[in-house]
Amino acid sequence: MASVRETITSFIEGEGHRIDASPLDEAEGVSELLFRTRGQVFSVTTFEKNPALFTISTAYEIPEWARERGQNVETLAKVNDEFPDIAFVMAHDGGLFVATSDEAPGSPENFTRTFWERVARVREAGARAIEEIVDRTESKAAAEKFINSFMRGDQ
Amino acid sequence: MSDHLSPIEAALEDEGLFFTRDDDDDAFRVAFKSEGDRYFVVAYRDDPNFLMIGSGWTLPAEVDTFDALDVANVLNVRKKFVKTALWEDERDVLFTIELCVNSAEDVRPNFGRLLDVLRDTAAEFFDELREDET
Repeated sequence: MASVRETITSFIEGEGHRIDASPLDEAEGVSELLFRTRGQVFSVTTFEKNPALFTISTAYEIPEWARERGQNVETLAKVNDEFPDIAFVMAHDGGLFVATSDEAPGSPENFTRTFWERVARVREAGARAIEEIVDRTESKAAAEKFINSFMRGDQ
Repeated sequence: MSDHLSPIEAALEDEGLFFTRDDDDDAFRVAFKSEGDRYFVVAYRDDPNFLMIGSGWTLPAEVDTFDALDVANVLNVRKKFVKTALWEDERDVLFTIELCVNSAEDVRPNFGRLLDVLRDTAAEFFDELREDET
């Protein structure tokens, strides 16, 4: 019988995508499958001991000029209200964040049925988060510029 | 003539996608899937500046041809790059991007964007048809 990792690898490859598979914890049967779609790398975690559970994750790099950790954590919490099924975690000293969906479809076969919809959902949430982070940083920078000019009496 | 679809193969490698080749005396062809949907790229041996990227879909039996033509026309006006057409007794819909290039290398850096717009146009086409039905 095929392992959970083999089943999901075979599905994603059958959909046209190359897979880079690696064991995260061989004793526990935890594996990570990496693939690209629409220019973004996604990671799927499979659990041989619990074939009903999966995670789908993708990371977004935050532009250097927008790396205000406290503010960005707040922004991610706000976006999480809009996408409660997607968890956001800051990493690399605030240089990137990871968007993750914990999936409990019941079986690998069920997971494959909604796979691309769930990938799209993680992508949508991540894209919204990066957009909010950039927008907020840009508007804050614009406000600061205005205040500085005002304080100097330019306005 | 050299194989001028090799930059397309490189673009597909960049995108992490599998592909197959199906060349003949007239044309170079690359076929591939992305998120389970099928696409193709064609270049003709006697017209090295022409390149077409496309995807074809079968229209569901219940879809009215005139509704589909209306939607295709709207998309042809609105969407950048993509031409939407009904063909084969108007039961299939074809989404194509036709380009005039010096080399397929011109396409490589923009391949992701072109794939996105092909994908989005097909999605919008079928979404619009579903809305028309309701």
